[in-house]
Parts: sequence; structure tokens; C-alpha cells
Amino acid sequence: MAGGIKKIVVEQGAERFPSTGAILLSVGDVPVSRARGQMQDMVQGTNTDMGKDTLHLLSYAGEFLKPCPGTRNYICCGYLILNVGTNCPLDCSYCILQAYFNLPNLRVHVNLEQEIDRVFEAIDREPEKIFRVGTGEFTDSLALDPVTGWSGIIVERFSMRKNTVLELKTKTANTRALLESTCRDRIIVSWSLNSPFICATEEHGAAALKKRLEAARECRAAGFTLGFHFDPMIPHRDWKDGYRRTVDLLDRYIEPGGIIWISMGSFRFMPALKPIIRRRHRDTCVLDGEFIKGLDGKMRYFKPIRIELYSFLRELLSQWHPDMGLYLCMESHEVWLESMSWSPETTEGLCGYLDQRVRKFFDLCG
Amino acid sequence: MVNIDNIRGVAHQKVELASIDDFPGPYCMSFGFDLGPLVRSLEGAGLLNPPLLTGDENGRFTIVAGYRRIKALKQMKVDTATCRIIPVNEIPPAECLLMNLYDNLAVRELNPVEKGMALTRLNCWFSTEEIVDQYMALLGLPPNRATLSSYLRFEEKMEIQAKEAVALGRLSFRNAMLLADLDPVSRSALVDLMSNLKFTISQQAHIIDYVTDLALIEGETIPEVLSDSRVRAIVGDSLMNKPQKGRRLISYLRRRRMPRLSKAEKDFRKVVADLNLDKMVRIEHSPFFESPFYRLEVLFRDGQSLREKLEKLMSEDLEKIGDPWKDNGRGD
Ligand code: SF4
Repeated sequence: MAGGIKKIVVEQGAERFPSTGAILLSVGDVPVSRARGQMQDMVQGTNTDMGKDTLHLLSYAGEFLKPCPGTRNYICCGYLILNVGTNCPLDCSYCILQAYFNLPNLRVHVNLEQEIDRVFEAIDREPEKIFRVGTGEFTDSLALDPVTGWSGIIVERFSMRKNTVLELKTKTANTRALLESTCRDRIIVSWSLNSPFICATEEHGAAALKKRLEAARECRAAGFTLGFHFDPMIPHRDWKDGYRRTVDLLDRYIEPGGIIWISMGSFRFMPALKPIIRRRHRDTCVLDGEFIKGLDGKMRYFKPIRIELYSFLRELLSQWHPDMGLYLCMESHEVWLESMSWSPETTEGLCGYLDQRVRKFFDLCG
Repeated sequence: MVNIDNIRGVAHQKVELASIDDFPGPYCMSFGFDLGPLVRSLEGAGLLNPPLLTGDENGRFTIVAGYRRIKALKQMKVDTATCRIIPVNEIPPAECLLMNLYDNLAVRELNPVEKGMALTRLNCWFSTEEIVDQYMALLGLPPNRATLSSYLRFEEKMEIQAKEAVALGRLSFRNAMLLADLDPVSRSALVDLMSNLKFTISQQAHIIDYVTDLALIEGETIPEVLSDSRVRAIVGDSLMNKPQKGRRLISYLRRRRMPRLSKAEKDFRKVVADLNLDKMVRIEHSPFFESPFYRLEVLFRDGQSLREKLEKLMSEDLEKIGDPWKDNGRGD
């Protein structure tokens, strides 16, 4: 990844953190500039590369642990986001980060190591509660890992928490640091999967599907618990055949007993993302479907299309293995019932279901 | 800030209109105006407020303020006019620009095209921060970089045809910006359509969205989508007025863009129509069927009439109501 980084910006105040020095060492000969205070915001609509070649080191003043920005009227998984940084060196055409952030560059929060204790204070205040934490919401969990050393900073410390699981979600094969660590307890490594066509044409810069599955197999062999996420599912020409091929590959590479959960979600986006995708990804097919404005104001596929997508994949996955921890991301009770034949009914219900999966896979009492 | 003392003593001079440059130049920001009233005023009262010009070494003049007056005089075929001439290099260009800006803002609100012209000209002399902090609000715009960037882009990218449509209110500025990334031929085809038919702002956005999507999905160009025989038949239908054509066109494009949703809506309408409901009873689905709930509306005069309407309603085959993509006991 370091090869893709052409510039480094060090914001005032970031120099004093050891991570900054470590990152500067790891990237080697890349021009470094200093920025006084917050960098200027990107003028929306004109900056099309989002600064994906610029590593921006800053001391983050906001909250490091936040609830996933769930959405009203749909059932949410109750995931918590560890905000290690924002933006991502990969360039998926459907990426919602293209519209979420008005701040460019690959922003790395170099005070993570110092702030993480506060995160644990919050977690320790509720020892009865299971915290499902992930870093893959505002960035890919492992894409920058060879440079930032994120996994080295957090994996061991999370692994020691008895009431918390950490999920590292990626589309890369950057698992070296993880494999070198000795921590396996309550650590989940998961991969976003899609049909081979979507992986190849819409997930720019991501590892090829087989590479992802090879990396997953290696992690499983090394004792990690796995997760998979078919999100966003996108109906495209021959999509059934495409998703079937991906499940066939899963079957070939992965032993299903080591999978804690597999989620399914279909493409949804804020309306403001559409012109940005059109501008940045001219040949994309992700906007071709029949989108309607959902109850939360986001665009999503017309309901029977979503039901068709989930029902089809659920059928395939259930045939592969009956107990996969399948769940839907941001869907309504009705869509759950129609496509999964059951429903957790509420966000609390889904949280309970996923907590059960955590209990099944990990020792939570120490 | 403009130093008013700089122009207090500026000399008045008769100037041949042929020696004044005919385009807005670096200071003026007028676009899409009707010269008629000004011509009539000049014919009646003469030139009461002489335009402000700056000259160069070759005897040519650039307008600092009074662009529309000069245009009107030229249209009236007047040869000379009394103008105030700023000597070469006497007043800095940024100050000339501000004179024009304040001169305009004192008497009218700029249209979106003129705001784009003003910001583009300000951008030559002032920093982004200065423009955002000091001039955007003055122009009635939200003071942020994104808005500034949109207006600069609009001024740079849009052809005269699109600017005219915006200045005349046939196309909103926001919708015009949706056309900014299209090639000029596609843009022109859509602007033509907006100029020929009458659309509300939200209809404009829908048309642009449907047409650009259809072109990409069906592998056609935008002019090809718009020259489809059905589109031509709607646009050319002499029995409909412009708003009717607009609505018909949107409904046609929507059916093409959203076939499954359109079919579901049509099927639902048919189920409800087949129920033979009282005129005061309505059954509706939620927007896009996204909510699981349907809506029943009954208008009634008193309890007795409510009972009658409900009894009649209960005798209908209500089981057929449901998500139209499901069987709902219709057996079809
Ligand atoms: S990997 Fe995730 S965060 Fe990165 S570009 Fe793709 S969707 Fe966005």
C-alpha cells in the first residue's frame, strides 16, 4: 500500500504521537508537509480523487467509539465503530464515504493508542453488555494496516476484553500483521464479498475474490474466527449466477464451522451520492437498478427486488451450511420475514441474536 | 472597499459608442436582461446617469458601470454619449469591479448567471476566504466553499443556451448543475426540452435523472433517448398544453426507468378499481410500497352514512388488497 501513497501531511499536534514517527518510518521516501490546524475542506464536487494518495496524520479530537450510524425505520445490528481513521485507499464505486466526508485524504488518527484507554473505560463500565466493535465503517480495516499498524495497536488490547469482540472488515489480503500476532480471542476477521463481476468491475483496488478467500482461509487455519458480508448486493446481468459462483468459491476455500456470521445488505445511499458516483465512476453499473426513497430518506432498491436478492442468497448459503448466523443489514421487519422466514423484529432483537452468536463462538467469562 | 473619492472628480466626456467594447469585460455582470424598458426610459428622459468607463492607450474603452445603458444606446443606434472616464491605471481593477457590483446590487438582485459572473470576476482579485466571508452573503448566497465552487463551475462550463434557460427561470440553477458533467450536445438536448416545455423544479430534476439514467442503462446517447418516437409524440401533441405534456413525458420516462415499480403501482390501481368502491372511499399504498401499511380514507356525513359505507366496503373482496407482486389470493 505504501507504494500508493505519494504525499504525507502531518497536522499540527500530530508530531508528538509515537504512531506518527512509526508511520513516517514505514512509508520511507515520501514527501512530507506540515499543516497548521485543520486542513481546508474539500470544495465539494471539484475534488474527484478524494486525496486517496495522501496520508494525513492528525490527532483526532472527537469520540473514538461511536454507534454505527444506523437508520430509523430499519433494523440495525447495533455495531459500534472504533474510529481509527477516515477514507480508504481502495475506490469502490458504491462507497458511501464519497459523500460522507468533506475532508479529503487518508486520515489516520495517530492518537488512537493514547485514546483507546478511554474507549475501554466506557466498555468496562458495562461488564454485562456485549460490545461488538469494528473499524471497517469509515475505512477498510486492513487496507492501511501495513502503514498504520492499526491491528498491532488494537488487536491485543481488545482481545483481553472479556465482553467485547473486535471485527476487522476488509476487501484486502493484508493479514500479515494479524497472522503474526498471537491473539485470537474475540477477534473476528471478515471479508466483504460480492459477485465476481462486481468485485472485478466496481471494487477498484480491492483484492481479487480468490485472494480474499485465500487470505480468509489462512486466517482460519491460524485460528481466527471469520465473518463475511455480502454488502452491497447489486442486481446486475446474470447476478444469480454471479452470487452462486461466489458461494461455490466460499465452499471451496472455507470451512463453514468457523464463520460467526454472514450479513447481507443491498446497495443504499444518500441521494447526494449519485452525482458523485456518476462523476467519479463513469462506467459503473451500481446505479442501474430501480431505486426508491426509503423510509430513512436513503435510496434503496424497490422492496421486491431486495427480497429477491436476499432470498436467493439465503437459499444458497443455507444449503451450504444450516447455521451461518445469517442476518440482514438495515432492513425492515417485513423484508426479514419475506426473505429469511423469520425476523428479529427490532434492533434489540437483532442485537440479541448477534450476541448469541458471539457467546457461541467465544468464551466471554474469561 | 470602494473609495468613492476616486470617482468624485472623474471627468465627463463625449465618447463614440463604437469605441466602447461591447461585451461585459472584466467588471460587468449583466446577463439575460430585457433592454425594452431601459430603451424607452432613455428615449423619454435621456441619459441621466452617465456610464463609467476606463480607457486604454489605443483609445478604446472598457465599461466599469453602465453596461446595460451602453447596450441600450447602441440598440437605439446612438453614435455618442456622455460618459465618465477613469484615466488609465487610476483606479485598481479590483476597485472597478466592486464599483460595478455595488452599482448593480443597489438597484436589483442579480440572477444566478450574474452571480456566477460576479463570483468568477471576484475570484480573480480576492482570496476564497474573502469571497466566502464578505461577498457571498451580499449576493444572497450561503457563505460556503461548495456554493462558491458550484457558481464558478457553472460560469465556466455552461453554454449561453443553458445560461439563458437559467436566467429566464426555465431551468433552476441547482438542476442546471446536474447537467454540468454532461457533454455539450447532451446538455443542449436537455436544455432545449426544458425551454420548450414547462416543468416545475422537481419535474426538471426527475427528467434529468430519468433521461441520463436511461441513456447509460440502455447504451444510448441522451439525444437518442429524447428523440424516441414516444417522446416525440408527446412533445408534438397539439392537444395538450405545455404542463400536460411535461407530466405525460415524466410519467412515460418513469415507466421506462422504473418498470417493476410502475407495474406494481398499475396492478394496485387495478385491484382497487375492481373493488367498486364508493366515491368517498379511497385505498392507497405507501410511497413506493416501502411501508407495509396501506391507507383507507372514508369521507362521511354522519354515523349512519359511515356505517353504510363500511358495510358496502366489507362486502367487497378486500383480500385482494396487498403487495401487488404477491399473489394475494388473485390466483393470477
Ligand atoms: S473498501 Fe469500503 S471504505 Fe474502502 S472504498 Fe470500498 S467501500 Fe469504501
